[in-house]
Amino acid sequence: MSLLAVATLDKSFGERRLLSIDALCLSAGEHYVLTGENGSGKSTLLRILAGIEAADGGVGHFGERRFDWWPYPNWLRQEVIYVHQQPYLFHTSVAENIAYGLRARGVEASQRERLVAAAIAWARLGHLRQTPPQKLSGGERQRVALARAWVLAPKVLLLDEPTANLDAESRQQTIDLVRAFCGPGRTAVIACHDRDMIALANMRRLHLVDGQIRQNSAPAL
Amino acid sequence: MGLLDATHAALRLLLSGDAELWTIVGVSLSVTLRAMLIAVPVGIGCGYLLATLRFPGRRALIVLIQGLLASPTVVVGLLLYLLLSRQGVFGQLHLLFTQTAMVIGQVLIALPVLIAFSLAAIQGADPRARETAVALGASASRIGWTMLVEVRFALMAAVCNAFGRVVSEIGCALMVGGNIAGVTRNIPTAIALETSKGDFAQGIALGIVLLVVALGVNSAFAFFQGESRR
Repeated sequence: MSLLAVATLDKSFGERRLLSIDALCLSAGEHYVLTGENGSGKSTLLRILAGIEAADGGVGHFGERRFDWWPYPNWLRQEVIYVHQQPYLFHTSVAENIAYGLRARGVEASQRERLVAAAIAWARLGHLRQTPPQKLSGGERQRVALARAWVLAPKVLLLDEPTANLDAESRQQTIDLVRAFCGPGRTAVIACHDRDMIALANMRRLHLVDGQIRQNSAPAL
Repeated sequence: MGLLDATHAALRLLLSGDAELWTIVGVSLSVTLRAMLIAVPVGIGCGYLLATLRFPGRRALIVLIQGLLASPTVVVGLLLYLLLSRQGVFGQLHLLFTQTAMVIGQVLIALPVLIAFSLAAIQGADPRARETAVALGASASRIGWTMLVEVRFALMAAVCNAFGRVVSEIGCALMVGGNIAGVTRNIPTAIALETSKGDFAQGIALGIVLLVVALGVNSAFAFFQGESRR
């Protein structure tokens, strides 16, 4: 069953047409790896799907609801979470970063604390709870960003090269967290070239070429 | 009187609790703090809106504000004088030669500094900060607050700069305040007056207070900035 679908989506930079997608269907509970050459528009596509970059035009569907890609509907931000390739952490603490989206959703303080504690345990960040984010390594920052997304229980998770620029140990920890995040009932799209990520169980392939999506129904590997 | 003697006399004045001197200090701090209380939220708010909204004439407005950074305070005083004088548009309000007029003048002087520095701070912020707040579902007001918190040290520098400009300005204070003893005589206008009368002791004493205030504000800023980086 389709959860998030692109009926049409266009994006150009000046004269260059980067994306011209006329069909993309992300099914509920399925996980996709998005591949393509550098500069093919993978990050731009994810950013448009998350509503942090404007599309030139196009229409999407979330379940039965139809919407325009720009201006992006606020209600959809509650369902879709995007994580940057190099996540930005606010200059507060690890715990406050994880609590940010919960505060934005008006989650009551005691429940918020409980959820943040669960997210910290999930991402094994207990020893870093009150650490200023600027003191974290790249791998730790990625884990905080994943915990910050996980705590919101999004229906659709969009990850942009989550293992890029990480050392071997951090990369493996991130892959383990992504595998745990992509549980049943959650739709995920992961832009990456990482063979181990592509090889995760039941990962389907979306390939972006010439601004269009080639979608395989079969698992990627 | 030599510089050394004048400085000794200035220190004696300060330590003796001279009522006239401390009244002048009180007027200065009261006017400047009230002006900053008004100018800081307005200036930072305008800076944020200019940084994030797109509208016709925005570019020209930014150039105008940046140009006003260099405006002589005496010109601001002159314009305000014309507006507040008996024949002026706001003449019926009888604000000329009052502390309120001085506060208005200082607000007008501080605003370009606060707007221009806030605009630069927010435009210079990491674009992922805003995107992350948006992606996490924050409302427009929460995004705005988050961005201001993320660039708080640049904003504090803007506030220090604006404070330094208004607490030491003399042109506008003299024109719209009138340098009335016990009412609108502040530190810069008093220094100018006492020096012209040859009373260097009070001028130096007030100069010391002004320096201490300016150094105190900037030291506090440096302390908070250092604490955040530990």
